[in-house]
Amino acid sequence: MKTKTKNIKIYCDITKCIGCRSCEMACAVEHSKSKNIYNALKEKPLPKKRVKAESSGKIIISLHCQHCQDAPCITACMSGALSKDEKTGATIQDKEKCVGCWMCVMACPFGAIVRDVENHIAVKCDLCPDRDDYACVVACPTGALFAGTEEEFRKRIEEKKAKEK
Amino acid sequence: MKYVIIGGSAAGVNAAEVLRKNDKKCDITLISEEESLLYSRCLLTYLIAGSIGEEKLYFKDRDFYKANKIKTYLGKKAISIDRKKKEMLLDDETKVLYDKLLIATGASAKTVDIKGADKRGVFTVRNIEDARRIIKMLDKVKHVVVLGGGLIGLKDAYALRVKGKEVTVVVRSQHVLSQMVDPEAATIIAGKLAASGIKIETCVAAKEIKGKGAIEEVVLDNGKTIKCELVIIGKGVEPNVEIAKKSGLKVDQGITVNQYLETSDENIFAAGDVAETRDIARGTPRVNALWPCAVAQGRVAAFNMLGKKQIYEGSLSMNSVDFFGLASISMGITKPKEGGSEIINATRGENYKKFILKNNIIVGMVLVGDISAAGVISVLIKRKIDVSSIKDMLYEDSFNYAKMLPLVRKFKDKFSEEEFRDTVISYKL
Repeated sequence: MKTKTKNIKIYCDITKCIGCRSCEMACAVEHSKSKNIYNALKEKPLPKKRVKAESSGKIIISLHCQHCQDAPCITACMSGALSKDEKTGATIQDKEKCVGCWMCVMACPFGAIVRDVENHIAVKCDLCPDRDDYACVVACPTGALFAGTEEEFRKRIEEKKAKEK
Repeated sequence: MKYVIIGGSAAGVNAAEVLRKNDKKCDITLISEEESLLYSRCLLTYLIAGSIGEEKLYFKDRDFYKANKIKTYLGKKAISIDRKKKEMLLDDETKVLYDKLLIATGASAKTVDIKGADKRGVFTVRNIEDARRIIKMLDKVKHVVVLGGGLIGLKDAYALRVKGKEVTVVVRSQHVLSQMVDPEAATIIAGKLAASGIKIETCVAAKEIKGKGAIEEVVLDNGKTIKCELVIIGKGVEPNVEIAKKSGLKVDQGITVNQYLETSDENIFAAGDVAETRDIARGTPRVNALWPCAVAQGRVAAFNMLGKKQIYEGSLSMNSVDFFGLASISMGITKPKEGGSEIINATRGENYKKFILKNNIIVGMVLVGDISAAGVISVLIKRKIDVSSIKDMLYEDSFNYAKMLPLVRKFKDKFSEEEFRDTVISYKL
């Protein structure tokens, strides 16, 4: 597993997201056995995405696990599958321990944990442990997605706003 | 400081963990009637069903107590508390002194008071020993009767059906899960169970369990008899308040606590299935004997024991079950009694949604089939958000976090955590 820096998560610039679902596709492929889109499409069961492009009127957001500081999914998990990575602050899942009780689905305020019905386990953003970068961010054609710390994302948005003025 | 915890399950162990994390030097003592390390009770039916092995029940590493320097009395029962001396007595006559005490004694399975209920082959499924005993005799069992059609009874029935047993569930109420969901949702869920071969008898109770030595049949109060070799009592739980009562603490259904989870004695706290906390949806004290509530309460109680004041947000009845691929989640008030509630519901095949609102605040929900919006709704319930602007979208299949984003932006004080603020950083519409 690749070691990633502390407090990283995926942010979405709502003003740039067009809801093209490239992130969803890239996420599913990254979590396939082959990690190749053509072969991934033939896999049974189909690989599952852990990100959702959601919309409401004009608002479109590519939504990911927020790796909450006091994560309600961890509190709710009755099988001990979810925990905090003390080093990175990420909310991580031990798939072997998950029994598919959906308590985490019930607890996540972002709806960022989804059911993998075929394998009967919950799946969520794992920050791409098999690669140095992040599949969804790489795939995003508009630059809406950003992997970094809150500070870095805030700076990025402020710089963008300054340019627009 | 000497911290003592009675109870080694969700609330007790989480409290111990918080205590140790925040105070490296204090003395922590944990007393538990059970000898095993923290395991998840909620997984016992998964164990019976054979979908997991016993090793997966365990929640913490084997050396958890040692690594956290927690002194333990396992397999011991606390029998009395001398609140003046701040001293406890265990059943082996050991005396344990405390500065701050946490009662997290949990709950016990309810039993039934009928003839034959003491026979061999009648079980409740509350602890690891119960599950082991049931598994041991399963080879010889063909027919099972489960008494109780609530969540516990149905999970027991499901596990045994997965094991290929002929299962009959005896339900006193008009429909299954009467505490958890409304009749509409119950009908869908019962249909799924029936399709899998589980027989459900409603509006009836068991009168007697018969058999010479081993169990042979259960007699119902409508005269019917059901052949069986195993009876499971799945009637829910009752808080273990004995020691609290004996030591003069204020007890109602569970141990009465304030918003800091402090009992009527300022040096004694209570958390988990034994504590009666404020129910968020109902606004009244209630025992919500649920794993997530126990974990949260254990942690909050520990902070307050440490003197780092933390308010417990309140508990909420909530349950998630999955029977043969049909998922159901319920939360808060699902069957409003008094008037003044607005009910939004929608059914499509096996998908059913119901929301109960009071003054534009969601106080309860039932989701069957598509449960993807459950978490988003749960935060709206917990934080009592006025949803009038998004009410029409609630029942839509696509209801999701994006729909509540304007509310996150608007109610800054209700969504003050970083993770919520992060989602609206770029929001300018």
